[in-house]
Amino acid sequence: MGFWHTMVEVFPRFMPVLLEGAGVAVEVAAGALLVALAGGLVLALATLAPFRLIRIAARAYIELIRGTPALTQLFIIYFGLADIGVGMPPLAAAIVGLGGNGAAYLAEVYRAGISAIHRGQREAALSLGLVPTDVMRYVILPQATRIMVPPFCNFAIQVLLATSLVSAVAAPEIMFKARNLVMETYLSPHVYLLAAMLYLAVSIPMSHLTARLEKRLKRAR
Amino acid sequence: MELLIENLPEWVPQFFWASLQTLQLTLASFALAVIVGIVVALLRRTHVVPIRWAMVAFVEVGRGTPALVILFLIYFALPDLLPALSLDSFTAAVLGLGLQGGAVLSEIFRAGIDAIDRGQREAGISLGLTPGQTMVDVLAPQAIRVVLPPVGNYAIGLLKDTSIASIIAAPDLMLRAKDLASSSFLPMQVYVLVAVFYFAMSYPMSLLVGQLELKLARHRH
Repeated sequence: MGFWHTMVEVFPRFMPVLLEGAGVAVEVAAGALLVALAGGLVLALATLAPFRLIRIAARAYIELIRGTPALTQLFIIYFGLADIGVGMPPLAAAIVGLGGNGAAYLAEVYRAGISAIHRGQREAALSLGLVPTDVMRYVILPQATRIMVPPFCNFAIQVLLATSLVSAVAAPEIMFKARNLVMETYLSPHVYLLAAMLYLAVSIPMSHLTARLEKRLKRAR
Repeated sequence: MELLIENLPEWVPQFFWASLQTLQLTLASFALAVIVGIVVALLRRTHVVPIRWAMVAFVEVGRGTPALVILFLIYFALPDLLPALSLDSFTAAVLGLGLQGGAVLSEIFRAGIDAIDRGQREAGISLGLTPGQTMVDVLAPQAIRVVLPPVGNYAIGLLKDTSIASIIAAPDLMLRAKDLASSSFLPMQVYVLVAVFYFAMSYPMSLLVGQLELKLARHRH
């Protein structure tokens, strides 16, 4: 029996299982994205804080996270924390792990966005009588957000691809389901090809949309 | 903490040894990625449309699929299709990470070549150089300066991504860590220590790339 013949035959059986995994992957990605968006902003503001200790702590977090593999971080959170009595279920570990990792990357994006807004904007707002926190909130961040949208979108794609890693901590996403299907059926080429196609079906349209958005925002400026 | 210190004399030498394996994996994948990246970037400039399309497809698939899926396809699926293509896990990891890296680097190289003023190319041609000579003697030396920092950042990312190869049991730091964690029942201590080893390799690299970035930025003005 040919490869594609088998593929057509198993497709209706495999696809629902993989799609179920895709649902979990989207859940993990969305959760991680929210954690990263909030955590990244806090970290970015902390690196600009007037207190030396806070600045150093934020920098240390960013450098430590960016200097170690996400897989190692996931293992520390899932296996390591459980061992010292702070265990969490796979999905929570996945969201905390990928989200905490993403926050360190997004902090740099926020920082670049904030520093790209002209210094004069800040001085103008201050001289108009706004207090520094209002300057950040009403003047700098709204403008910086526009610059940051394309890198945020690219980050979202990366997070979605990175969810494949959380199969290693037993979160039931696409690759986890795929491995189970392979163990049941021994059809690894079919299963993994379908899994790859699922990822591509989301990542390619997303990256094209992001590229178009980037072009449009550049023109608008 | 005491348990970590107690085990250091046993673990550290093993992690040193495994770090060399990780570096080996990184270097081999990087070399393959650079070669593939250059070939793909150049082939995307050809006038033969089907080749150009094939290169675009290669880049989109390479960048849009998680590394883990690519490794599974090469290590598990390929031998099931053609038994002659069964590779050991190290070779499979190099091939997978190298091909994916080629897709990523080709985009960096393309942007680098595009960033060189078109006039440079026309000047080269009108001075009597062949298109090949123009590429090698005029465009490439200038493009290299533009692409060095992003290529450096890619290399740092690759060093960390080699940890994924542990999932197909390729010998590296992360695989050693998994073995030690399961034999010692001390996952927290083991995974934190392995994170220290990754950090010790990637942090100096990122400082170096940062320096390079500053230096090249200064040169351009």
